[in-house]
Amino acid sequence: MPRLTIDGREIEAPAGQTVMEAAKEAGIFIPYFCWHPELSVPGNCRICVVGVEDKGGEWVDIACNMPVAEGMVVYTNSEKVRERRKATLQFITLNHPVDCGICDKAGECTLQDYHYEYNGERSVSVDSKVHATKHYDLSARIVLDNERCIQCTRCVRFTREVSMSFGLGMQNRADHSLVRAAEDGSFATDAYSDNVIDICPVGALLSRSFLHKSRVWYLEPTASVCPGCARGCAVNLWHRRPEWRLRAPDMRAQNEGIQRVTPLENPAVNGPWICNKGRDLAKVFGRARAEVSMLKGRPADLHGALAQARSLLGSAGKPVAVVSSWGSNEELAAFKAALGSRFTTFVKADHEPQAGEVLEDAILIRADKNPNTAGARALFGDAAPAIPKDADLVLVWGEGFDFRLIPPEAKIVYLNAWLQPENGHADVFIPVSIQTERDGHYTNFAGVTSAFSKCFAKPVGVADAEAVFPALAATAGGGQ
Amino acid sequence: MPGRQLIMDFEVTPTSHTLEAYRARGGYATLEKALKSMQPADVTKEITASGLLGHGGAAFPVGRKWSVMKPGDGQPHYLCCNADEGEPGTFKDRWILEHAPHLLVESMLIASYALGVRNAFVYIRGEFDLPWRRIQGAVDEAYAAGLLGAKALGTDFVLDIVVYRGAGSYVCGEASGLITSIEGRKPYPRNRPPRLTVKGLYQRPTVINNVETLANVTGIIRMGAEEFRKVGTAKSPGTQLVSISGHIAKPGVYEVEYGYPWVKFLDEDCGGMLNGAALKCVIPGGISTKVLTRAEIETLTLSHESVNPAGSGLGSGGMIAIAEGTCMVRLLQVLLRFYHHESCGQCTPCREGMGWMHRIIDRIVDGKGVPEDIDRLYAISHANDGTTICGMGDAAGYATVGILNKYRDEFEHFITNKRSRFDGRLECLA
Repeated sequence: MPRLTIDGREIEAPAGQTVMEAAKEAGIFIPYFCWHPELSVPGNCRICVVGVEDKGGEWVDIACNMPVAEGMVVYTNSEKVRERRKATLQFITLNHPVDCGICDKAGECTLQDYHYEYNGERSVSVDSKVHATKHYDLSARIVLDNERCIQCTRCVRFTREVSMSFGLGMQNRADHSLVRAAEDGSFATDAYSDNVIDICPVGALLSRSFLHKSRVWYLEPTASVCPGCARGCAVNLWHRRPEWRLRAPDMRAQNEGIQRVTPLENPAVNGPWICNKGRDLAKVFGRARAEVSMLKGRPADLHGALAQARSLLGSAGKPVAVVSSWGSNEELAAFKAALGSRFTTFVKADHEPQAGEVLEDAILIRADKNPNTAGARALFGDAAPAIPKDADLVLVWGEGFDFRLIPPEAKIVYLNAWLQPENGHADVFIPVSIQTERDGHYTNFAGVTSAFSKCFAKPVGVADAEAVFPALAATAGGGQ
Repeated sequence: MPGRQLIMDFEVTPTSHTLEAYRARGGYATLEKALKSMQPADVTKEITASGLLGHGGAAFPVGRKWSVMKPGDGQPHYLCCNADEGEPGTFKDRWILEHAPHLLVESMLIASYALGVRNAFVYIRGEFDLPWRRIQGAVDEAYAAGLLGAKALGTDFVLDIVVYRGAGSYVCGEASGLITSIEGRKPYPRNRPPRLTVKGLYQRPTVINNVETLANVTGIIRMGAEEFRKVGTAKSPGTQLVSISGHIAKPGVYEVEYGYPWVKFLDEDCGGMLNGAALKCVIPGGISTKVLTRAEIETLTLSHESVNPAGSGLGSGGMIAIAEGTCMVRLLQVLLRFYHHESCGQCTPCREGMGWMHRIIDRIVDGKGVPEDIDRLYAISHANDGTTICGMGDAAGYATVGILNKYRDEFEHFITNKRSRFDGRLECLA
C-alpha cells in the first residue's frame, strides 16, 4: 500500500484510493461540496483543493480526483490552498443570494460553514447578481431555488446513479445553468426523490412539507427505525427541542409532532438513503390516537380494562392471539414470556401496501410494509392468521385485522394505538403506545436488528404493550 | 506561398475533393503502402520519428500520444477526429474538410491501422454545412469503394468511420467534452486522471487528434519521417495551416512552413494591412493565445520555438491581425462575451468567473468602470488559471492578461474618461 504524508501525518492508503478518501479515513478534514461518498466524482466545485509538494514547488489540485501515490506529501491548509479556497468561495457566493435569513438550510448549510471557515469576507463584486427562478416547482414534494444552487450536480447524479430515475439534469450553460426535471415527469414519480434535499449542500432543494416550518436549531434528531417496510431504514426523527417548546395553547402537534425525517446512515441496512414514504412518517404517527380504554365500546379506566381482560382470559378454554408485526422485539418477547404458552399465536401484517405505493424495488423498498415481521415470525412462526372456529377468546394486537374472521361467540381483547371503529367492537379495548413513545428494536427482512429511541412521552391513559402482557398473565395461569 | 506545401499542394477545382480526383493525385497509395508493407508499430514509430506536433492548439507531440495506446490489449480502441473547429479566428480545418476530405479519410485509415482501431469518429461542428457534406460524401465514397466498412485493399484491416455532427458548442472541441458529446450526453469535460488514452470514449482508450494533425499522417508515411523533417524547423517540423482574418488585405487559409518570417508573411503573402493601416498587434493562434505587438513579432518566425519564448503560442493557427486605432477594451469585451457564452457551467471558477469578467468589461464599456476593475480582471484570471477541469478557464485568463498587460493604459483611459481612447470601433477604416 502506498504511504503518503498528509499535513505531516504519515498514513497508508490502498492503491486506487483518492487523497480525499484517504484523508477522510485518517480523520483529516478536506472541505467538499460536490463530492459524495456514494456518488461519482465530478470534481466541479473545486473547493477540495490540496497542495502537493513537488520538485518545482507546491502544486494545487482537487483531492477528490487525485490518486494516492507512494511518497506523496499533501498539505490541506497551506497558504496556496487557502488562497485558492478563498477565491473559489468568492466565485460560489458571487451569484448566491445569501438569503440565509429566510433559508431552511441555514444552520446546517455547508456553504455557510465553509464561508466562515475559509473566506469570511463579503463579496468583492460590485456588479448585480445573476437572477434565476426563486420558487420553482421541481415536483409536488420539492421546491427548487435556482439562485441558491451552486451547480454541484449532486442531485442530478443521485437520480442517475442511485434512484435510476434519470429525473434531473442541467440546462443551459455558464452562470445561466439550471437544474431542471426531465420532461417525462420521471422525477415526480421517483420514490427516492427527497434524498436530493439532504444531499444538496446549500438551500436550493427544499422539502415542501418542511418549507418555512421551523429553524433547524429549534429541532433535535432522535435515532429511529422507519416502520414503512421490512427494510427498516435507520432514520432521524426531528422534533422540537424541549427548551424550545411552544407554550401557547393547543401546540401539541408542534411540540410532540415529527417535524421532518432524514436518513441516518447505516451501511448494513439503507446506506445514506431512505425512500419518500419514510419522509412522511409524520402522517403515520400523527393520526388520531386512542387514549381511553373501553369495555364493549364504553369508556373505562385502564385498571378496569386490564382486570376484565384477565378474567376473560382466566375463563377462556381456547384463547388465540394475533400479534402485531409493528411490535418491538422487546414487546414480542414479553408476550412470548408472559402469554406464549397460554395462546395459540399468529403474526399478522398490520399494514398492507397502499394503492399507488411502490410495492418493491431493487434499491430499498420491500413488499412487506411492516417493520418487524421477521422478529415476530422468529418467535411465533410463519403461519398466516387462521382463527379456529372453536376459539372462545381472541387477543388482537395492532391495527389492520379484519374482525369478521373472529367467530361471533368469541370474546375479543384488542390492543391498538389508533382511534379506529374496531376499537368499540372489542369486549376489552386497551390503548397502547406507539414507536415514538418507547425504546425498542426491530429485526428487518435480512435479520439485521436496529434500535429506535423514545421521542415523546406517551399520553396519559395509554399503556405500553410490554407492560400489559405480564399484567394479563398475573392470574391467567399461563406463561409464569 | 510561404514555404513548401504538404496539404494545400494541389489546385482546387469544383471536383478536386472527389475520390476520383484524389486517386488521380496518388490518393490511397500511401494506405496501400502502410497496410501491405508496414506493421502497425512501424507506423507509430514513423509518426514519433517525424516529430509531428498536434495542430489543435496545445502542440502536444502526436507520437507520444499514440505510444500510450496498446493495440491488441484485448479491448476496443477508438480514434476521434476533432473537427469541432470553434476557436474564434480559426477556420483552417474547414479548408481540409472542404477540399481534401479524402486526405483525412486516408489518414484516419492509416492512423486506425497503427492504433488498432476498429471504429473511428469524425466529430464535426454543427454549424459546418459544406464541410460536413464534403466529409460525409468522402466517407460515403470510401464505403462505396470498399475502403471503409470492408477489408480494405485486400488486407484484413476493416474500419468504420462515423461522421458525428455536434450541436455547436465551444467545449465540444475540448477532447473529453467531445467524446462525452459522442456518447450522447452534455459535453462536460472530464477530470484527468484518467487520461483519455487510458479511458476515453465509452471508457476505452481513445486517441483524439485535430483534423490538420491527422491530415499530416498520410504525408509522413508517404515521404517518410526523415523527408518530413526536412520541411519546417528542427523543433517544429512540417507546416502549419494559418487562417488569417482581421484587418488584413488578403484574409484566408495559408499553408506556412514552420520557420517562415512572420512579418514577411503578413506583409507579402497576406498583402499587408487592410486599407494600408499600420499593424497594432496580432493574435497568433486563436483568441486564447496572448496577443503580440508589432514590435514583438518583428524578429519572430512562425515556429513554436520562436513564438513560445515571446510569451505566446501558435495555438490553433487562427491568426487575427489588428490595426492601429482599434479599441482593445472593446476587443476584450468581444472575447469575454464569447467565453461567457461558451462556458459550459460545469466547474465553479469558469462558470462564475466568465460571467463576472463579462459583466465587468460590459460595465467599463458602458462608462461605469471603477479603477479596481482592472485588478479584479487580473484576480479572476489568476483564480481561473489551472483550477478548472478543462483548459477553457485558463484560456480566457491568458487572453485577458495578455491584453491587460500590454494595453493597460487604454483600460485606465476608458475608466477615467468614460470613453475609448480611439473611436471605439473594431472596424478598420484607415
